[in-house]
Amino acid sequence: MLFVLPALLYVGIFHLVPVVYGLVLSFTDYDPLSRTSPDVVGFDNYVAIFSDAAFRDSLLVTGRYVLMVLPVTVALALGLALLVNRPFPGVGLVRSALYVPHIVALTAVSMVWLWMYSSNGLINEVLGWFQLPAQSWLYDEDTALPAVAAMRVWKALGSNMVLLLAGLQSIPKELYEAARVDGARRWQLFRHITLPGLRPILVYVVAMDIIFLAQGFAEIFVLTGGGPLGSTTTTNYLIYTEAFQYNRMGSASAMAFVLFAFIAGASLLAVRGMLGRRQS
Amino acid sequence: MDVTSRMRHLRGPVALVATGALALAACSSGGGGGSGDSADSLVVWFPGTNQTEIDLVTDVIVPQFEEETGVEVEVTFADWGDLSTKLSAAFAAGTAPDVFGHGPAAIADYAVNERVEPLDGYVAQLDPDDVEDLSSALPGGQVDGVQYLIPLSMQGNMFIYDAEMFADAGLDPDAPPSTWEEIYEAAEALTVRDASGTVTRSGLLLPTHPVGTQQSFANLLLAAGGDQLSPDGTQAAFNSPEGEQALRLLVDMYSGEEPVATGLGANFMDAAAAQQPIVTGDAAIMMTVAPRATDIMAAAPDRDFRILPVPRFESADSGHALGGAGAGLMISSDSPDKDLAWQFIEYMIDPGTSEQYTEGIGAVPTRMSAVQGEYAQSSPVVQAWLEALPQFTANPNVPGWVQARDTMATYLEGALRGQATPEDTLTEMETAVNDVLAAARP
Repeated sequence: MLFVLPALLYVGIFHLVPVVYGLVLSFTDYDPLSRTSPDVVGFDNYVAIFSDAAFRDSLLVTGRYVLMVLPVTVALALGLALLVNRPFPGVGLVRSALYVPHIVALTAVSMVWLWMYSSNGLINEVLGWFQLPAQSWLYDEDTALPAVAAMRVWKALGSNMVLLLAGLQSIPKELYEAARVDGARRWQLFRHITLPGLRPILVYVVAMDIIFLAQGFAEIFVLTGGGPLGSTTTTNYLIYTEAFQYNRMGSASAMAFVLFAFIAGASLLAVRGMLGRRQS
Repeated sequence: MDVTSRMRHLRGPVALVATGALALAACSSGGGGGSGDSADSLVVWFPGTNQTEIDLVTDVIVPQFEEETGVEVEVTFADWGDLSTKLSAAFAAGTAPDVFGHGPAAIADYAVNERVEPLDGYVAQLDPDDVEDLSSALPGGQVDGVQYLIPLSMQGNMFIYDAEMFADAGLDPDAPPSTWEEIYEAAEALTVRDASGTVTRSGLLLPTHPVGTQQSFANLLLAAGGDQLSPDGTQAAFNSPEGEQALRLLVDMYSGEEPVATGLGANFMDAAAAQQPIVTGDAAIMMTVAPRATDIMAAAPDRDFRILPVPRFESADSGHALGGAGAGLMISSDSPDKDLAWQFIEYMIDPGTSEQYTEGIGAVPTRMSAVQGEYAQSSPVVQAWLEALPQFTANPNVPGWVQARDTMATYLEGALRGQATPEDTLTEMETAVNDVLAAARP
C-alpha cells in the first residue's frame, strides 16, 4: 500500500479529480470569467450540443480524420516494420530516421508542415518542377483535412513501426522454419504466421491510434484553425473554442464526455472486431 | 496486532499524506491574483510575441520604471492566440496579473463580468493637457462611456502598393486611386493570370483568414457609409445597401467572374515581413497595418512601396476604414494594489515612454502631440497613419463582440466560397449576430 500511495495520489489528484470535476461542470453553466456561482442546468448542455449542427459536424470530421489516418498509417507502418525487420547495412539508421518524427513535438512538426503547405512552400515548389499548378492545400475544403491527415500519417508512422517491429521480433522463428519445410510461400507465411502473431500488438496500435487521433487538436490549431468552413473542426478543437474562446465550460465539458463515449465506443468496436468478442 | 504496532504501520502513510498535503499547500499558496504578497511588485502580461517589443519592454522600459519607482515588475508576453485562454484560466484560479494588455475587442466581456477596474478616477487625475493629447485614443478603451483600457498605440487598416508594378501596368503611381471603384479598376490592370486564367499575382489583396474576413468586410462597409452594429450596440446594422455593396465587392474580388485576388483563407497579415505578398511579388496592392508596413519597407528597402490614402466608395462622402485604439493595458479587479498598477500604466503613456514604445515597435502613437515628434516626422508610414486617424472607426466594444465577430467571419467565408449569395449571407448573418449579442447582454 505504501509503495503505490504516491502513484494513487498522483492519479487521484491529477487524473480522477479533474475528470469528476469535468463531469460535474457538464451539468452547470460555469463561466470562468463570471463572479457568480455556476447554476446547475441538468442535462441542458447535453441536449443543446446534440441539437447543435456544429457539434454534429465536428463528430463527423473527427470520424473522417480517424478513418483517413488510421488505415494508411497502420498499413505503412506494417510495411516498414517488415522492411526494417531484415538485416541490411544501415538498418539501424533507417529505423532511427523513421522514428524521429515521433519524438518531435506535434506543434513543432505542424509549424514545419504549415510552411510546406503554404503557397510558396516546398510542396507547391515540387509541383512547379513538373509544371503542375500550385494548390491551396490548407485553404480548400476538399484538400484541408487530407492535408492534415497526411502530416499525421507521417508523424505516427515511427511509433507504430517500432511497436510492430517489436511484435514481429517476438514471433518465434521456428514457426517460419517449420512452415517453410512444409512448403509455405511468402504470402502464406505472412497470412498464417505473421498476422496472427502480430494480432495483439496490432490491436494495441489500432486502439491507441483511435484514441490519439480522435483527440486531434494541435495540428488543427496550427495548420487550419478548424477551417475552411469548419471542414477541419474536430470535436476537440470545437471544445477548445467553446471553453476558452467563449468561456462556456459547461457546454465544453459536456462535449468532452460525449467525445469520450465516442472514442471508447470506437476503440471497443475495433478491439472486438480484431480479437473477437471472447478474447476482448 | 496491538494498537502500538498498528500505529507504527500507519505512521509511514500518514507522514506521506501529510507531506503531500504540505507540498500541495505550498504549491497553491501565493495565489489571490497579481502581486499577491509583496507590496512593491507587479505582475504584468503583455500580448504578442514580437521580439522587438519583448526586448524593448523587458530590457529597456521596465528596468527604467523599476529604477525610477523601486517597484519590481514581472513581465510575461503571451501569444495573442493564447492570451484570452490564459487570462480566463488565471481569473478562474485567482491568479490574474495586476495589469494585462489586450485588444479593445475583449474589453466589454471583462467589464461585464467585473474583471477589470474602471479607470475613470485615474484618468480624471491626469493633467487635462494629457487627457486632451490622448483624446483620439481614450474612447477606444471605453465600454458604455466608462474607461477600462488605456491604449498604448493606434491601429488602422490602410493599403500599401508597389509603385513599380503600377508603372509597369500603365498606371500612374503618383496619382493613385482614391475610391474603391478606382482601386478595383486598378486592381484589374495589376492582376496577373496564367494561361488557364488562374490569378498568379493579386491586383488587390484583403485578408480572408477568419478574423481577417470580418476586418475586410468592416473596412468596406465603413467606406460605403455603413455600420456594423446599431448605435446602442444591441443589433446588427450591416444588413443594409451599404453592407450589400461592401460584401459584393469582397466576393467579386475573390470569386467573381474576373477575380483580382487569390489565396482565399490564407493569413498573410501575420506572416513575417519578407513573406508578405507585396514583398514576394504576389500582390500589387495589399491591406496592412502600420507596424507591418514599417517592417515591409525595412525588409525591401530598394523597392518603392507607398501608402494609399483611406479610400471611399463613390456613393460616400468621405473615406473611412476600420481602426482606432489599438491594444492597451487594463487593471485586474483582483489586483491588491491598483494604485501601483495604475502607476505602471501612467508610466507607459508618459510622452517619452509612449514615443519610445511606439517607435520601438513601429506603431502609431496615441498622443496627438506625437505628430510633431521626431519619430513621426521621420517615418512616412506613421505620418500616413496619423493623417488617417480621423477616418478610422473602431469595432464595437459590446459584450459578446468576440463571438459576434467570429460568427460574422463564418458567414462571410460562406459567401466568399460561393455557398450563399451576399443578400442571403447578410440576412442570415444578421439573425445569428443578433442572437449572440442578445445572449451576451447582462
